[in-house]
Amino acid sequence: MVNTEFLISLVPLFPLLGFLIVALNVRRLSHGVTAFIACGAILLSFITSVVLFTKLLSAPEAERSITVTLYQWFAAGSFSANISFLLDPLSSLFLLIITGVGFLIHVYSIGYMHDDKGFNRFFSYLNLFVFFMLLLVMGSNYLLMFVGWEGVGLCSYLLIGFWFKNQNYNDAANKAFIMNRVGDLGLLIGIVLIAWKFGSISYPDVFANALQNSEALKSHGILITWITMLLFVGAMGKSAQIPLYTWLPDAMAGPTPVSALIHAATMVTAGIYMIARNNVLYAMAPATLTVVMIVGLATAIFAATIALKQNDIKKVLAYSTVSQLGLMFLALGLGAFTAGIFHMATHAFFKALLFLGAGSVIHALGNEQDIRNMGGLKKYLPVTYMTFLIGVLAISGIPPFAGFFSKDEILANAFAQNKIVWVLAVGASLLTAFYMFRLFFLTFFGKERASHEKMHHIHESPKSILIPLIVLAILSLAGGFMGVPEVLHGSHWLSHYLAPVFASSTQFLAHHDHLSHATEYALMGGIVGATIILIIFAYSRYAKNNHVPATDETTTGLQRVLMNKYYIDELYNAIIVKPLYHISAVFEAFIERLGIDKLVNASGSFVVWGSRTARLLQNGSIGYYIFIMVIGIVLILVANNLK
Amino acid sequence: MNRSDLYSLTPLLILSSAAILNFFSISIKRNHKVIFAITVLSLIGDFIFLTSYSLYHQQHIDPLLVVDGFGIFNIGLILLTTLVVALMSYAYFEQREERKEEYYILLILAALGACIMVISKHFVSFFLGLEVLSVSLYSLIAYLRTRERSDEAGIKYLILAAFSSAFLLFGMSLIYATTGKMDFGGIGYYLTTTQDIPLIMMAGLGMLIVGAGFKLGVVPFHMWTPDVYEGAPTPVTAFIATVSKGGMIALLVRFFNAINGYQYESFTNLFTVLSIASMFVGNILALRQTNLKRILAYSSISHIGYLLVAFLSGGSMGAQATTFYLVAYFITTLGAFGIIATLSDQHRDAELIDDYRGLLWRRPLTAVAFSAMLLSLAGIPLTAGFIAKFYVITAGIGTQHWLLVFCLVVNSVIGLYYYIKIIAVMFDQKLQIKSAKELHPLVYVISSVTIAVLAVFLFWLGVSPEGMLSLIDDVI
Repeated sequence: MVNTEFLISLVPLFPLLGFLIVALNVRRLSHGVTAFIACGAILLSFITSVVLFTKLLSAPEAERSITVTLYQWFAAGSFSANISFLLDPLSSLFLLIITGVGFLIHVYSIGYMHDDKGFNRFFSYLNLFVFFMLLLVMGSNYLLMFVGWEGVGLCSYLLIGFWFKNQNYNDAANKAFIMNRVGDLGLLIGIVLIAWKFGSISYPDVFANALQNSEALKSHGILITWITMLLFVGAMGKSAQIPLYTWLPDAMAGPTPVSALIHAATMVTAGIYMIARNNVLYAMAPATLTVVMIVGLATAIFAATIALKQNDIKKVLAYSTVSQLGLMFLALGLGAFTAGIFHMATHAFFKALLFLGAGSVIHALGNEQDIRNMGGLKKYLPVTYMTFLIGVLAISGIPPFAGFFSKDEILANAFAQNKIVWVLAVGASLLTAFYMFRLFFLTFFGKERASHEKMHHIHESPKSILIPLIVLAILSLAGGFMGVPEVLHGSHWLSHYLAPVFASSTQFLAHHDHLSHATEYALMGGIVGATIILIIFAYSRYAKNNHVPATDETTTGLQRVLMNKYYIDELYNAIIVKPLYHISAVFEAFIERLGIDKLVNASGSFVVWGSRTARLLQNGSIGYYIFIMVIGIVLILVANNLK
Repeated sequence: MNRSDLYSLTPLLILSSAAILNFFSISIKRNHKVIFAITVLSLIGDFIFLTSYSLYHQQHIDPLLVVDGFGIFNIGLILLTTLVVALMSYAYFEQREERKEEYYILLILAALGACIMVISKHFVSFFLGLEVLSVSLYSLIAYLRTRERSDEAGIKYLILAAFSSAFLLFGMSLIYATTGKMDFGGIGYYLTTTQDIPLIMMAGLGMLIVGAGFKLGVVPFHMWTPDVYEGAPTPVTAFIATVSKGGMIALLVRFFNAINGYQYESFTNLFTVLSIASMFVGNILALRQTNLKRILAYSSISHIGYLLVAFLSGGSMGAQATTFYLVAYFITTLGAFGIIATLSDQHRDAELIDDYRGLLWRRPLTAVAFSAMLLSLAGIPLTAGFIAKFYVITAGIGTQHWLLVFCLVVNSVIGLYYYIKIIAVMFDQKLQIKSAKELHPLVYVISSVTIAVLAVFLFWLGVSPEGMLSLIDDVI
């Protein structure tokens, strides 16, 4: 038997090797070889992850956390940073999802990208992305997580830009970039504070230290609140929460498999992972947990309302991702870490399915993304239709699909703690069901609105696209059974599996009485009933009566506000992007361009240059340089003599 | 001067002899290849000789110089940097200037000046080294006479450098007037014995800071930087950005340790202000630039700001962070300018961002190396720049310089924006076909290998910095 340590380091190694092989031979390899290498690398990683997972399961509960140190990266002052990986129930779950869903998306990409010129380049980026994502969840210290964090950001930037050709994209990318900068800034400062406070950046040390000094930390709550808040700012950026969410819908400019892999199933869950990993710290900071809860809830509702009026198939899915991530943060904020992770897992299945299904539709219709130009595709794309239906049912929370169990757990937790939060969360959840079915009916039912030419070419997608869809559909159907609650006579396997990770934080969280079974049944029944009513409403409006959303120009009032996403993009442009450019312009005008001429006019003849020098010196701005220097000198001398 | 003194000064003697040998060679026959070979070989030979010293070597050549581990390390750094500059100069000048041979003499002399600075412990040797460096730089900057902005940059640098040198000298004389000493140790001793530092002394130290600040290009003495970076030939820009600034930093570290300047709040406050101003002004001004050399100029202003954070932390941790940062910054800057130099043609330098549009598809390896350099400047993990920045932050936290650390982190985030913008342009699809005059393939091989080696160093230091760190630890 190969030893476990070796296997753990193999997991990120395969995608890295895949990336290097493809990237170094990007011009030489044929598409077939590239696809084989890239998919094979992820498959090997997946197999290794499965083996590791079974090993963890067979080990006694106390030994389900293995750290592998490859070597010491560097030592700064009193503490050191290692290249080391941590395998525990939490990271192993993420490994399975990243490599499993990642593999399916790789296979899907073979079909989706088959005639693209950048085929090899695309696969090398995908492999690199998976490598960084694995680093993010496997790293046993904050720095390695940060490496992965920045790495996935970079890959996402590269992959979004894969097809861009216009200026619009550039503006969007700039904005997206600034959003993520703000998030990373928070994360970095948070890590710096942790390093300073705990004298270490490795998880086990920090958590052990925090547990030891929990009394002191809790009584001076400011510091731990700051640390957790700053980390959360990082999570807001990466996981697209208010106010840093606007980049995610714009990121849909990239190829569809990228949207599925990065912007639905994996990268955006980095924030969820980070908070779950730091559950001990968060449990000690109730104020931060409240903020996490409020931000999550607000995002869930806000993004759901925007999704109601979007007409781009990928934009709807993007806003629904933002909204679902909001629900996960709500769960984390309630202290229900398991519920958050559970929803993350099921969401990875059905959201990847939905995105890939959308990709299949877009592919079939020759890059049409507007749902107003679709309709009646049911009979042309039967497999896509069926799998998409399963995805929509799962995200709407219809039993027994995966989304039902995970969403129900979040809602039950909300009900137990705060009824208002529960009402709002149910609202977001019902909105989700409505806009997803609106999307579904507009795409697959009703009149055929696509142009004749497009309908002429329509065809069901190739096998490499359909097989991943089917597998993901099965997962979306069955994935929920890893967490069947007790009330439905399940054992909630997932919560037992994850228990060791969250064990030490439970002591800090307020305990809530379990809901009675009768209440739980009533809640479930009520929500499912309301969801079905909404679905029927959506059916009659969009499928039966063929209601098609109005064109952009004719919408008015609130609808227009929703369609324009509450004008948040415009707002950010006005308050962040433009001022920054203005500051730069002002600096440039005053420090760079202000020549001696203007200065002379303003302050009288300051320095007079000979005509020859003046000619050489391009309007004599050197005098201005000296002027600035003299001001500096005077200030220094004055400062030096102030006691 | 006895034999062991002479032994310790051999690296400087080799440099001087190389300059003289080049003179002779030119007077016999002008041949670019020969001069280039002499320069490269003597720099390599000098470096090999330098490695024969023990790291704990300590030789005082009273009263002017001290050759110790710190000095040897910095001389080594200067020699290697000059070597890289010389290597990238060959292809660059081969396609441009008719009289390219004297360039190497000036380059060697400038390196000599910087070497003197890093081992000086006396105002006289300090000033001597500085002037040898500066005078060489005046002509190096204006070396491509026929280019429009070249002599403008040279004259600007000359006037401003002369202006700052005047302050430096005045400051030295004021300090001498109070203490009667010109060696660092003597001044330090005076300060320990005096409770109340006289006004004249403070004024003198302040003027010293002005002189040093000019060489480093910190705000508000940074105005020359963009103009000179833009106007100078690219290899010379690389030299100014690295050797000229690094030499001054090393000297500052030595001087401040000798006089224990960290105990005076007015100094630390002053440097704090300079550091913060440099970080912000440099980064914010870089945001809108479209000229790559100017971007790198502003970025260098902010990097000196970061460096000052480490410098201000003082102690062995501060010195270690400063030195490591210098090494990382040298590698990255050389790489970046080296790439600009290789992409330039005989008419103009490849200095506009648009020159790099779609570079990835034309010259993938160059584009990847350049991306690596930019990511290192931005401080992205797995590059040398990240470890360097991390050390600076650690040093800053260790000494509780919260404001500085905060500003550094904020500025790293701002800075990343314009670095990544350049990378995005290189990954752009649009193709631009450029035709350059073909030189002998060996020329390109030299440049490419140089850049490849720098890139390897960059990742090596980023992934496994322990070796370099322990080396730095030993010399401090």
